[in-house]
Amino acid sequence: MSRRYDSRTTIFSPEGRLYQVEYALEAISHAGTAIGILAKDGIVLAAERKVTSKLLEQDTSAEKLYILNDNMICAVAGMTADANILINHARSVAQQYLLTYNEDIPCEQLVRRLCDLKQGYTQRGGLRPFGVSFIYAGWDPQRQFQLYLSNPSGNYGGWKATSAGANNASAQSLLKQDYKEDCTLKEACGMAVKVLSKTMDSTKLSSEKLEFATVGQTKDGKIYHKLWSADEITALLKEHDLAKDENAEEK
Amino acid sequence: MDTLVAQYSRPAYQQNNALAEEEQQDLLDGVPGASNLSLKFAMPPVAHPSAWLRAVSDDRSNPSCPIKIAHGTTTLAFRFQGGIIVATDSRATAGNWIASQTVKKVIEINSDLLGTMAGGAADCQYWLAWLGMQCRLHELRHKRRISVAAASKILANLVYQYKGMGLSMGTMCAGVTKEEGPALYYIDSDGTRLAGNLFCVGSGQTFAYGVLDAEYRYDLTTEEALELGSRSILAATHRDAYSGGFINLYHVKESGWEKHGFSDTNPIFWKTKLEKGEFSNVTSSFSERV
Amino acid sequence: MEVLLGITGKDFTLIAASKAAMRGATILKASDDKTRQLNKHTLMAFSGEAGDTVQFAEYIQANAQLYSMRNETDLSPSALANFVRGELAHSLRSRKPYNVNLLLGGVDPITHKPSLYWLDYLAALAPLPYAAHGYAQYYCLSILDKHHHPDITLGQGIKLLTLCTDELKRRLPVDFKGMTVKAVTKDGIVDIEFDDDKVVKSA
Repeated sequence: MSRRYDSRTTIFSPEGRLYQVEYALEAISHAGTAIGILAKDGIVLAAERKVTSKLLEQDTSAEKLYILNDNMICAVAGMTADANILINHARSVAQQYLLTYNEDIPCEQLVRRLCDLKQGYTQRGGLRPFGVSFIYAGWDPQRQFQLYLSNPSGNYGGWKATSAGANNASAQSLLKQDYKEDCTLKEACGMAVKVLSKTMDSTKLSSEKLEFATVGQTKDGKIYHKLWSADEITALLKEHDLAKDENAEEK
Repeated sequence: MDTLVAQYSRPAYQQNNALAEEEQQDLLDGVPGASNLSLKFAMPPVAHPSAWLRAVSDDRSNPSCPIKIAHGTTTLAFRFQGGIIVATDSRATAGNWIASQTVKKVIEINSDLLGTMAGGAADCQYWLAWLGMQCRLHELRHKRRISVAAASKILANLVYQYKGMGLSMGTMCAGVTKEEGPALYYIDSDGTRLAGNLFCVGSGQTFAYGVLDAEYRYDLTTEEALELGSRSILAATHRDAYSGGFINLYHVKESGWEKHGFSDTNPIFWKTKLEKGEFSNVTSSFSERV
Repeated sequence: MEVLLGITGKDFTLIAASKAAMRGATILKASDDKTRQLNKHTLMAFSGEAGDTVQFAEYIQANAQLYSMRNETDLSPSALANFVRGELAHSLRSRKPYNVNLLLGGVDPITHKPSLYWLDYLAALAPLPYAAHGYAQYYCLSILDKHHHPDITLGQGIKLLTLCTDELKRRLPVDFKGMTVKAVTKDGIVDIEFDDDKVVKSA
């Protein structure tokens, strides 16, 4: 008789709300911040990595930024375990499209395919919604550089600059203040560290607490995406005078 | 005379007995025997030679047949105001194997007459050499050069005697005589004999026809005609796997034939591609993703 | 004895197909159109087994249009060619494969580059500057090898096509009743007036 519980669908409350979806959104608002900024020659994604314990093995691999496809990367805010399922799905969809058409899937189509899956989990029986928001950065020949945000309900939208996770309201207003149309990728990277330095708890940043990734175009027109190394992040922080004082750490 | 009639009315393969006797008779009578010289052919000792030959050599129906006959060619010849152009490739293939890249497919029957070779290489070589002999005999007997019409007919009649027995040839006879002007005949082992302005024969014939038909005129200058003949062979060597090697080019005039080279197709192809921009389907770089 | 021809040029792709619909020794129709438009700037010509051809072409056409409706954007000619190849390869491994040869011509909606794809019933795909199917390959490819250049104008392309069809009229043993000719350009697909009544004399 356990099916009585399992097959229960997410249903509207008398006020017309989907509580499960709202709880999922609430879960995300406790996760590390992620932001994305669209520049004229590329896109930057940046995310805050919550270091939970000094004892935790700090491997170099990214835990909040993922490559979905040759033309697309994403930042995760929310439950990493849930995100893994969705990212696996997105990667399969992108490869299936490549196999069928021998060209990369257009960005919005990939976002939509993920959101279709997310939406399904708000309606089908026995399931809970995914506790993840994504910020997607990608390029396709028709619409060039694009930035999208999606949430657990399966809604998505295109943005010039956006954020997800903890303090995303303040991050959003900072972005609104600082965003300049036609900014370069370099300027966008600067803007990203400044916004994160203000929304994160610690005043001084370090490469351990941050992840960075960019999508851009090389001189010969090829699209590249790059997950930044710790050294590159440190260099960026130093450039904007936001790096943690190394002497202070030793105390 | 009865023996003569009997000779013509009997299939050639039944006549392989009294060779010496017939040779003697030929000398005595001075009869121009088109068939008697062919009698030296020994037939395979089986009940049905032609069926047997087909069974062991037809690699289209039986790819693992023991005898691979050399096939596959492009040859062409056309009449124009300045005489006749004859051009061929030089590849000999036996199945998928390229047996030679330097075959002479234009056979100089005599100083005025040319024959071309397509089909079984051995058949063509043998019978065109034989035709050369018949033409010389004709000259000696009649004290004048044989007409192209007559020469081609001797060959046509000969191959017709062997019809259905596995001969495989597609040949052209070209020559210029006072009486006929430039004359061109097509003869094949089915027994077909056709006079015409323009023929292409062999596995690459369609490719040569394509280029040749598009720009052929009777009033071509000699230079244009030589270039068109050579370009048509090049076209065929490019598209037909069984044609290739060298372009063998001849110009037949009333004063006899003139050779215009035996030229490697490879440098000609690249010269044509790079200098004229033709063959645009061939890229010199690796192709990108489809 | 069906004829399919395709030629690309500077800013167009020409697709031509014979008008005769033949069954055995009979010509059933002399104004058959062996092409289908897949989207605004992609056209597919087909030949092969009776029945299979139109069924397959219209199946592809429906899928191309479904994609356009769902995604508010058209598939590029290259994507379509690869999609068709996949469908054909899939069908080839089924109990009753489609026996269809195809030419797919298009102009890329973004880059405006013309393209031509050759597919046979064994699902081989090749992008080419000019292509043909059936016996036309044997007569026309050597002509196109000699006379085609990638930067020809539409007018020159049509002249080149005439050179090819003249040769086919001269040498093909069966009357193919002329050609339907269409040009794909960046502005869409246009029908081309083509003189079918010209009598070609043999040399």
